Amino acid sequence: MIEIRVGKLARMLGVHRNTVSNWIKSGKFSARPTVGRRYLIERADFIHFCRNQGISEDITAQFANSGGFAKPRAHAAYPVARDTDRHTEKGGGMTDGPIGSVMVVGGGIAGMQATLDLADSGYKVFLVEKSAGIGGAMAQLDKTFPTNDCAM
Amino acid sequence: MNVELLTLSEVEEFSGNEGNFSVRIKKNPRYVDMDKCIACGLCMQKCPRKVDDEFNMGVGKRKAAYIKYGQSVPLKYAIDAEHCIYLTRGKCRACEKFCPTGAINFEDREKHLSIDVGAVILAPGFHPFDPSGFDFYGYGRITDVVTSLEYERMLSASGPCMGHLIRPSDHTEPKKIAWLQCVGSRSTNRCKNGYCSSVCCMYAIKQAVVTAEHLNEGIPQQTIFFMDIRSHGKDFERYYETAAAKGIRFVRARPHTILAGKNNMGVTMQYTAEDGRMHCEDFDLAVLSIGLEAPEDGPVLAAKFGIELNSYGFAQTTDFEPVRSTRPGIFVTGAFQAPKDIPQAVTEASTAACEAARALMPARGALTHEKTYPAEQDVTSQEPVIGVFVCSCGINIASVVDVDAVAQYARTLPHVGFVENNLFTCSADTQSLIAEKIREHHLNRVVIAACTPRTHEPLFQDTLREAGLNGFLVEMANIRNHNAWVHQALPEAATQKAKDQVRMAVARVAQNDPLRQLKVDVVQKALVIGGGVAGMNAALALADQGFDCVLLEKSDRLGGNARRLAATDRGQKVAPMLTRLIERTESHARIKVLKKAVLRSAVGSVGNFVSKIEVDGDTRAVTYGTAVVATGAAEYQPREYLYGQDERIMTHLQFDDQLAQNEAAVGRARSSVFIQCVGSREPQRPYCSRLCCTHSVKNALRLKTLNPEMNVYILYRDIRTYGEREDLYKSARDLGVIFIRYGLDSQPVVSRKGDDLFVEVFDPVAQLPLKLYADYLVLAAAVVPHDHQALVELFKCGVNADGFLNEAHPKLRPVDMSVDGLFVAGLCHYPKPMDESIAQARAAASRAGLILAKEEMQLDAIKSYVTENCDGCALCVDVCPYRAIKLEQEKIDGRSHIVTDPALCKGCGLCAATCPKEGVYVHGFTLPQLKAQVEALLAEATA
Repeated sequence: MIEIRVGKLARMLGVHRNTVSNWIKSGKFSARPTVGRRYLIERADFIHFCRNQGISEDITAQFANSGGFAKPRAHAAYPVARDTDRHTEKGGGMTDGPIGSVMVVGGGIAGMQATLDLADSGYKVFLVEKSAGIGGAMAQLDKTFPTNDCAM
Repeated sequence: MNVELLTLSEVEEFSGNEGNFSVRIKKNPRYVDMDKCIACGLCMQKCPRKVDDEFNMGVGKRKAAYIKYGQSVPLKYAIDAEHCIYLTRGKCRACEKFCPTGAINFEDREKHLSIDVGAVILAPGFHPFDPSGFDFYGYGRITDVVTSLEYERMLSASGPCMGHLIRPSDHTEPKKIAWLQCVGSRSTNRCKNGYCSSVCCMYAIKQAVVTAEHLNEGIPQQTIFFMDIRSHGKDFERYYETAAAKGIRFVRARPHTILAGKNNMGVTMQYTAEDGRMHCEDFDLAVLSIGLEAPEDGPVLAAKFGIELNSYGFAQTTDFEPVRSTRPGIFVTGAFQAPKDIPQAVTEASTAACEAARALMPARGALTHEKTYPAEQDVTSQEPVIGVFVCSCGINIASVVDVDAVAQYARTLPHVGFVENNLFTCSADTQSLIAEKIREHHLNRVVIAACTPRTHEPLFQDTLREAGLNGFLVEMANIRNHNAWVHQALPEAATQKAKDQVRMAVARVAQNDPLRQLKVDVVQKALVIGGGVAGMNAALALADQGFDCVLLEKSDRLGGNARRLAATDRGQKVAPMLTRLIERTESHARIKVLKKAVLRSAVGSVGNFVSKIEVDGDTRAVTYGTAVVATGAAEYQPREYLYGQDERIMTHLQFDDQLAQNEAAVGRARSSVFIQCVGSREPQRPYCSRLCCTHSVKNALRLKTLNPEMNVYILYRDIRTYGEREDLYKSARDLGVIFIRYGLDSQPVVSRKGDDLFVEVFDPVAQLPLKLYADYLVLAAAVVPHDHQALVELFKCGVNADGFLNEAHPKLRPVDMSVDGLFVAGLCHYPKPMDESIAQARAAASRAGLILAKEEMQLDAIKSYVTENCDGCALCVDVCPYRAIKLEQEKIDGRSHIVTDPALCKGCGLCAATCPKEGVYVHGFTLPQLKAQVEALLAEATA
């Protein structure tokens, strides 16, 4: 199993990142998504694909043997908005239907709950928070009434 | 993984229509590369610049390189450009020099990104009131006057005082503390906040109780100065009464001045008690219970999004559409909608999610992905290699338990291959670290010595799965709740106990086997029980999300209690709304309404229930995946105040009927008296019915409008017109409605003399007994729950001591019931006004939708299973409370045996405890596992 990131693979192969995304979407490049915008692909599939694309064996071998980018990750991968991308996919490929995503403004207890509900029922959510971390006022509380539970 | 978190971000531009908005977002630079930062905190240590810490309300200091708080998400440091010495003066870069991963990036610039979304939910929260303008309280001038939010940080273990309460002036422990209620709420004199902030009474009581626990003295010396105690939420009144019983002093007064104590230490409080006498009292510390204001940037936000605000700056909504803003596709929730407590905010957050989901139903699933895990490695044939992670939990554990010693000790235990101590084992970066260590050291079992599995086990199970291990190969040793928190005074013994706990967990985890989670198909259909406003709203919200539902109503018509109500708290007419609601419900293609229907049975479990329903004599079976219970409640039939002996004495609803049918006659009355808390807040029913104060005030206003000459009296114990309902209370006083307070020990007496009706009551302000003539006497009768016995037996759900249906958790899961797949809404949960019922019903629909949105769902893996020892004695069949065990008729090898139904089994273990021959086990709690744990406990500690 090789773990890849679209951007890095694109740079390595000298193609645009959208090209790689398109390969994945069309099934040409049989990778499946995993956490943090990374993709997993079988080693054999990867080598086979590179051969078909006429990619130099050196690069392929270098990539395949390094195990892709499955390097120690020092943090959970938070999905970070790509500043160059525009998230314009419409819901289900329709052009006039609503867009299947929601923006939640405010990362306090209410914003977080709304975000989780929507994300778990099939909607993409952008949670916009003005400070450096979510949690809001509830995170500042010591205990909460009427159960004296820790607010955290 | 379907959430993109944009921190340090704000919306710049906004355009479009419901279903298709375009947003431009500005992402401010963090100056720290989130991919590289490992949250080690070196940058903060080395940063020479100290600034006031806004998270601690300025009570403590933080650095310019900072993290909001220990468990912050994302757990990544940031550099505060306003204060950073390099960014303001061009020199320093100390953090950059010391950062071990090269994460500091001073080249970071503001980024702009565009996103397209179908709907928007605004939840910007509230702004804590700033009492600096109240010079008579001396906040900012007198050292020992603090706001409640500052005090909250002072109490907090992760706050600037590290959980040791000290007052600001001389850093000694304050013993005698006063709280002043309604600072910046219910006040139009020095500020413009006429509303009640709804939460301050309860948080002040909580702070007083927690303080008393902190100080741990015989008699608490905490005093709360209040106007009305508003403990109108579920189980709040009990909390208030317990606090009073513990000795917290409640004084009905609004102190007019606070003076500094001697040498500016402590305070002197001047106040006039209810009897008119002046008092002067010294306190060590005064806490101002500040109110909740609309967010400061509310008007900017409103202009940007094109929505309207009300006169207090909160978002404008209506009672029938409680989270809908004035612009389609934009929903508002949390304290921005109105000041509210956490349960209400969480509930209404789900309501907003429901509304957004309704609006975007055709596009559900279009932009989301499922989480995938790497293939699981088979560990059954491997020797256990156990990783132990010992959590400090900030200082929660580390201040009592010597975590280093525990970690050292863990290294000596059998099979342990790796041990580490973490500041917060639950933080996101520690999860990656655990996964990394699993791979690096080929760990195949993990022990987390931290807090409770109740809240954190799923997190660690997920971490294991991401690292390619089965999630059930983790065990938690609860060295916080079961140890550090309860043995604060005995650090040495606590450390020894922590070692014992770790030893037990290690012994047990070595026996753990990988478990498979069961998948069941979900019947994508809901059952809604109850055809009142809550039930219909839940059904419609589900149907609009594309789910079929069956609505059960026991009577022959829909509408419930709302049929007898005239207007909502904001004066919107109920009847037209109700007619539309009933029409929509009955004509919706996805809703099947069953009237005169009674639920007769319920079997199955979340995702797959089957019930027999008796409809007008016929019985039919209905299958469904989830159910919303909205069975409503009834009005208490009073036995007090001569009720039933005189037709001029009525309950609320009867008086509403009277007003509806015969308004002119009522208007001709000379004098009307309302008595509050009839059947509520009394020993036999110790809860507040929440809606009666507003209801009486509303009717009093109506009477005064009908006939300004009429004398209208409201006899009350505390007026609880919370939130913006306070405006009604103020209008009523302005129009001359007379409010007279009575106590539980001096209840009004109703008498008849000839044809005349009189109410006698003692007026505590005038200090005189009064005798009031009454043409009408309206009793604010309690809201009483229906008998839930049948429901409780069918679903095994729970009711609280007052008979209202219980939620799974009052704050975290306020509409989920303790039985998976069941949700609760409306009056059967707790008395509440119509806007809150509607919000809760839609929140329940949102939560139910989470289950129905998937075709199959995973069940817990902790289930009973039959072993080869079973000989079919069937002792377990009777003890199983979930009827999950049957005796199989067919014999295997001439022996009879049982079968268990994993969908019904809750893993309670009664069968395993009953079985005399180990014929049935529960996954994760097998006898070898428990035995290993017990033996480890009894084994002599070696370190």
